[in-house]
Parts: sequence; structure tokens; C-alpha cells
Amino acid sequence: MKSETDDLSDVIKLISDIKHKTLLSSHDIALSTEKLLVNLISHGNWSSALDLMELIRRRIKCLSQSLPMEATATNIMRHILKVIREEFEVASKKKGEAHSLHHIVTGALSNILDYSESLTSLKAALLDHLSEYKTELETSAENIAAQASEHIHSNETILTFGSSRTVKMFLKSASKKRTFNVIVVEAAPLYLGHSLAVSLAKSNIQTTVIADSAVFAMMSRVNKVIIGTHTVLANGGLRAISGTHTVGLAAKHYSVPVMVLSHMYKFTPIYLGSNDHDTLNILANPATVIPYSSGAVLNKADIATPMFDYVPPELVTLFITHQGGNSPSYVYRLLSEVYHPDDYEI
Amino acid sequence: MSQQPLSDVNAKVNDQIFGKDKKNKNKPQNNNNLKGNAPEKTSNDKLTEKQLRKLEWEKKLKERELETDVKSDADKTLSKAELKAKRREQQEAQRQAKTDKSKVIEQVPEKPIVSKIAKLPPELPYLNTHKTPLKKSFEASRTNPKQVQLVKHLYRIPNLEHQSKIVNFKDIHPVFVRLGVQYSEKVILGSNARALALLSAIKTLINDIQTPSKQEFCRYFQAILQSCTDYIQDCRPFAVSMTNALRAFKHQLRHIDTNHSDNEKRAILLEFIETYVRNDMLKAWDAICMKVNEKILNGDVILIYGCSSLIRRILLEAYKDGKHFSVIIVDSRPLLEGREMLRRLAVAGIKCSYAIINSLSCVMKQATKVLLGAHALLTNGSVMSRIGTAQVALVAQAYNKPVLVCCETYKFSERVQTDSFVYNEIGDPDLFLNIDTSSNSNPLVSQKDNNKLNILNLLYDVTPPDLVTAVVTELAILPCTSVPAVLRINAGENSI
Repeated sequence: MKSETDDLSDVIKLISDIKHKTLLSSHDIALSTEKLLVNLISHGNWSSALDLMELIRRRIKCLSQSLPMEATATNIMRHILKVIREEFEVASKKKGEAHSLHHIVTGALSNILDYSESLTSLKAALLDHLSEYKTELETSAENIAAQASEHIHSNETILTFGSSRTVKMFLKSASKKRTFNVIVVEAAPLYLGHSLAVSLAKSNIQTTVIADSAVFAMMSRVNKVIIGTHTVLANGGLRAISGTHTVGLAAKHYSVPVMVLSHMYKFTPIYLGSNDHDTLNILANPATVIPYSSGAVLNKADIATPMFDYVPPELVTLFITHQGGNSPSYVYRLLSEVYHPDDYEI
Repeated sequence: MSQQPLSDVNAKVNDQIFGKDKKNKNKPQNNNNLKGNAPEKTSNDKLTEKQLRKLEWEKKLKERELETDVKSDADKTLSKAELKAKRREQQEAQRQAKTDKSKVIEQVPEKPIVSKIAKLPPELPYLNTHKTPLKKSFEASRTNPKQVQLVKHLYRIPNLEHQSKIVNFKDIHPVFVRLGVQYSEKVILGSNARALALLSAIKTLINDIQTPSKQEFCRYFQAILQSCTDYIQDCRPFAVSMTNALRAFKHQLRHIDTNHSDNEKRAILLEFIETYVRNDMLKAWDAICMKVNEKILNGDVILIYGCSSLIRRILLEAYKDGKHFSVIIVDSRPLLEGREMLRRLAVAGIKCSYAIINSLSCVMKQATKVLLGAHALLTNGSVMSRIGTAQVALVAQAYNKPVLVCCETYKFSERVQTDSFVYNEIGDPDLFLNIDTSSNSNPLVSQKDNNKLNILNLLYDVTPPDLVTAVVTELAILPCTSVPAVLRINAGENSI
């Protein structure tokens, strides 16, 4: 155990960058997390897979304590834990426990791997894998966007809420082959919808901006709802910016399919059953909703400004990742592909 | 003339409804003082005056034509801001002219404006002159790419040009001219306030109108009223409440006994309006307040949306009755009426929280009841109300909260509608550009002229009946689907 020499300075830097909004989009966070891991593997103080996994676990704990809302960085680290396990198995030419029915029934625990064994080839293999992973991160949005023409037909009306980089790329990619209309909901209090609308209009897509209150009225004419999300939860639900739940309910009411574009690093192995969870939400500055100039009335009123909404899985029709489309009921399986079950809880 | 008591009531109601917005309230009295003088004049005077006025009018018409030609040329080169400034200038000038006129009138009481109205036969050529430009701009609007295709039928002609033209038209009573501006500038907002304002304008018209010889009062009045209401319709489409009030009034107008003298007819009509306001509005509000009051329990958390005058009254009265409850005010852009509601309720001492419509699913959990106002109730049970109401009802249903819609029966409409597009109103899209809670510049501003970028500001939406638990009316607490039954009862009462 080399914890005395491990000062966690790299992860503290990452946390402060996220907190100070130097890193805003989850894509940027993902890339700098990957960089952190490369650094840790190549220069970190470890000799065995067990040591390295311990180092990463400490970072995940540190991250999830300081930023309980931020899932991207911890998810990437969690994924790398699984990569370490796999690379170790390959390097040591041993087979880890197989999750077969037979194994569960017989309870045979014969082949538990000893990760403390030191392997010289592990570092190189891991760095190789990470550079591959980096390419995957970088091309993920493009891969999602490349599927656009499979999901959008001509003359469609598509509603989107707020702004997401992936959604923007998706729609722009679709506009090369199809003509369609986009309705952008402005999404108070951040009004990110405005910048998305401007960007889409500049790429020659017919765009209409509507107020948050017009979602239900417009939904009857919408063919598809395409949104991004902050996090995909283990049950297939979403933690997305506030207002998304209403959009989902309205879409359900009119039987409009809701497609969620998401990178794999947004899939998080946590369960949050409802909006009540303290860990689900944070409250923003009330001045984003009602200006301080409103005067004395502010002393008498509570101003609620939640940032996120919980969207239950039954309101989501499809998740589109760089691997293709999946329904919410399949999320558990995707999770087990990305993370090792032992790493769900850290 | 039994006008005094009603205007008292009106003033009271206006206080409650308009609040701080009653900027121009004191003006209409001018005309009331004048009407008595008109009949005293000799026919000789009238003739010369008539000729003079005709000349004056023709001159004006020419000037106006010239002006519009110049204007349309100039407009092409003017930016929007400049146009606005110009328009303001014009309005200022008109206002100036008006006040000057009224001063003159005060000095020379033999020249009332009203007699002008009275003597102009309704079928004058100006009707055509003001209709042609309307048509033209309607054609132009067909090709305007800045309009959302889906609701193209809802766009109206930008009223700045015809408003400035119509302001001095002689058969439209100044009360209606002002009312039109107040409607279109949203100074008078809310269907109750709008209906009350219309009725009080009609009252002024009843008092001021002078029947030309050989014409029957009611016939003549109907024609004048028609052109006045057409003008109002141009400024902003009628609210259902206004349509219904107007229909009831016209019904009365048609069924008045022709043997009465003009003054008797006036008295009957004024009495009718007074009764209508008293029974269908004031008493209905009291009854609804009582009914909802029974449903509010101590410890309730009531979620409301926007700023409905009726809902505010209900809450304030329930609070006065000593009920302990708190209110969640949900608000949405661009009108942000909820802030006004918050201010009023908080000043009264009611415990309030405030949230925007996007936070709805977070605040809905705490609520125990949802109270909503309505613009109209349609025959198929749909509730037409301010945009966002359907969304609130939808989320309330998802959380199994009861949704009570408060609506007077005079707002029940025979129309049916299943979506929010067939009949709706488009608000000013520029309202979206200004965000008072953010200091950053809005990216939309720079792209305002991009033809690919539209902003759609719908004013109403239609809530399907299955999202509404019950409608509270002055008759009873009913399911939405009882609208046709209520309409039938009301129709039966009216025909007796």
C-alpha cells in the first residue's frame, strides 16, 4: 500500500476544475479524467494491479464525496477498473470467475484471481487500452451523430429541450440528408435552448423557439423528442435538467417517442427512485428565477430552483449510444458490459 | 339614469382586477359630460357643420393617403427601432390632438365629438379604405418566412399601421379606440378584466350615442357597436368572455320593445349590463369563492399557475376566513404573471413559494391541490387557458393531485377544440429576447433576422378534460363534460 505517497493532488485539481466550471461539458470532463488516468498509470506509484485499483478507488471515493452529482469522472474510472481486471487476466493467462448459472448454483469459488501479482506487461497493455479508449471518447459523439439518418425521416418535427452538444451534432448530421423542423424549448433558468436554436438555424435547419410552458401545446404536432441527459441511472431512468420530466410526460400523453442520446460514460450504476432523493438534485441560485430587484417580497417567499429532474424509465423510448439503440430495460446489461459488478459500489 | 351604482361597482372591480395597471381610467368621463348638449342644436347649425365636417374629412382622407404613401416608402428604409420611435411620435401627436380637441370642446359645448359619431351613416366609404390595406398586408403575411408554418393562420396584421390610421375615424367612439390600445398593449389583461372593460365601454357608448333622425335607436346602435367591436377585434381577438358578454348584450338589443323612447331604451340596456355584471360576474365570483373555500383545508398546500384574478380572490378570501394553508406559485416566461401574484399574496401574509414551470415536477410533490383559472370552457370539456395550464394539469395527474379549474359559467363556450392551434393567439416574439434574470446577452438577438429561426409565443393552450378533476362554477362543482348541459340550461333561461 503506497497511500502515504499518494496525495490525490491530480483528482483535487479535477474536482476544482469541475466546480469552477473550467470544465463544463461532460465531454471535457471525460477527456481530462482519461488524461488523469494515463498519468496515474504511467507515473503513479504502483507495482501490481491491486495497487493500481486501490489508487483509482481512492480517487473515485474522493470524487463522489465532493461532487455527488458528477457521474462522468467516476464512471470513467470505474470503467478503467474493469479494464485493469481484464488486462490482468490476459497478461496472467488466468481466467477470472465466470458469472455462469453453474457457478452461482454450485458456489464454486475456486478461481478467484490474486491481483497483487506483479506483471511487467500490464502497464504497457493498459496504456494501449487507454489510448484506444480516448479515441472512443473523441469519436463517440460522431458515432451517435452518424446514426441520425436511421432515426429521422424527412419532414419530421423534432422537439428538443435545452442544449446538448450531442443532440446538436446529431441534428446537424441528419440535416445533411433530410429536411426537418426542430422545435427548441428554451429551458429556463439557463436558457441553453437559445444558443442551440441559433446554432441550428445557422446550419440551415428550420428552427422554432418556444417557451417552456408551450411544451404540451406543441407536443401534439411533434414526431419525436430527442434530448440529451446528465446521467442515465441503473434502472434506465434519467437525471436530466429540470423540465425534462414534463417533456417526457407530455410525450407520453401524445405517444411521441423520446430518444435520449447518451455516451457510455453517462451510464451510472446507481438507483434513484424519485425526485425526493437528496443525492439527485441541487438547487441553483434563486436569482436565476426571480431577480433581486423584486424587493421585499423575496424575504417572504421560498424560491425553489432545482437543477435536475428525475425521469422514470417508462417515459424513455430509446437510448442511443455509439453502439446503437437500446431500450431502457436493457440498461442493466449495458452497465455490466462497461463495469465490473464488484465495482458498482465503491 | 342609473349609471352611478354600476360605475361604482366597476371601479371596485377594476381596482381588484387591474391593480396598478389602471393608467387611463379617468379619461372616459369627458364624453359623458357632453352628450346632453347635442339635441339642443338647431338644424341649420347642423347642416353647415355637416358640410364643414365633410370637407374636413375629405381633406383628412387625402392627407392620410399621401401620408401612407410617404410612409410606406419611408418604412422600407427605416429600422424597427426607428419605426417604433416614429409610431410613438405619432401616438403622442394624436394624444395631443385629442386633448386639444377636448379642451376646445369644453370651451365650445355646441361641438361635441359625440354628435359626429351620431350623424355619420355607417356605410361610408372609409370602411372600404380601411379594409383594403388589411387585405394587402394579409397577403403579404402569407409569404413571410418568419412565421411558423403550423400556426400561420393565427398571425395577424401588424396593427401599428392601421391603428395609427384608425385612431381618428369618426364612427369609432374614443372609448373604444383607447380600449383597443389597452387590449393590444396588454394593459388590460385577463378575460374577466377584458370583458368588464368592454361592457363599461359599451355603457359609455349607450350614453353618448345620438340617433340620427328617421333611424331606430337599436338598429343604429347595433351598427355603430359593430364597427366599434370590429375595431377592437383588429387590436386583439376577442376573449371568449367578451364574445359571450357581447352576444348576451346584442340579444337584449334585438329584443327590446321598439315602442320605448330612446332614453327608456338606454335605461333598459344600461340596466341589462348592470345586471349582467352583477349576476354573471360579481355574484359568480362570490359563489365560486365560497365553493372553493369549502374545499381548502387547514394545512393544504395549493399549487397555482400564473395570475388569475379569480384564483387570487379565492385565496385571499380563504386566508381572511382564517384557513391556514400555503401556496406554491408556478410561473413561466414570457409574461411572468406569477411574480405579480407572489407580490399580492405575500403582501397579504400568505405563505408562498415560487417556482418556474420547469421545476414543476419537484414542487408538485409538496402540493395537495392544484387550482387553475380558465380563459374558457369548451363544449367538449376542454379547458382553454393561459399557456402552460395543460402542462401543470398533466404533471398534477402524474402525481395524483386533484386539479380544480375555477371558471364562471359566462365563460362557457359553444366552440369545440381538441388542439391548441386551431384557435389561439400569437404574442410578441420579441418578449423572448429579454431575460431579466440573466446579464448575458441573448444569442437570439443577433439572429433575429435569420429566416430559419422563428420564435413562437402562443398565448393559450387547451387542457384535455381527462386531466381536470372538476370545474368549480357558480352553479356547482361539475365535471368538465357538463359544459353542454350548463350551456343548454343557460340558453333555456335566456329565451324565456
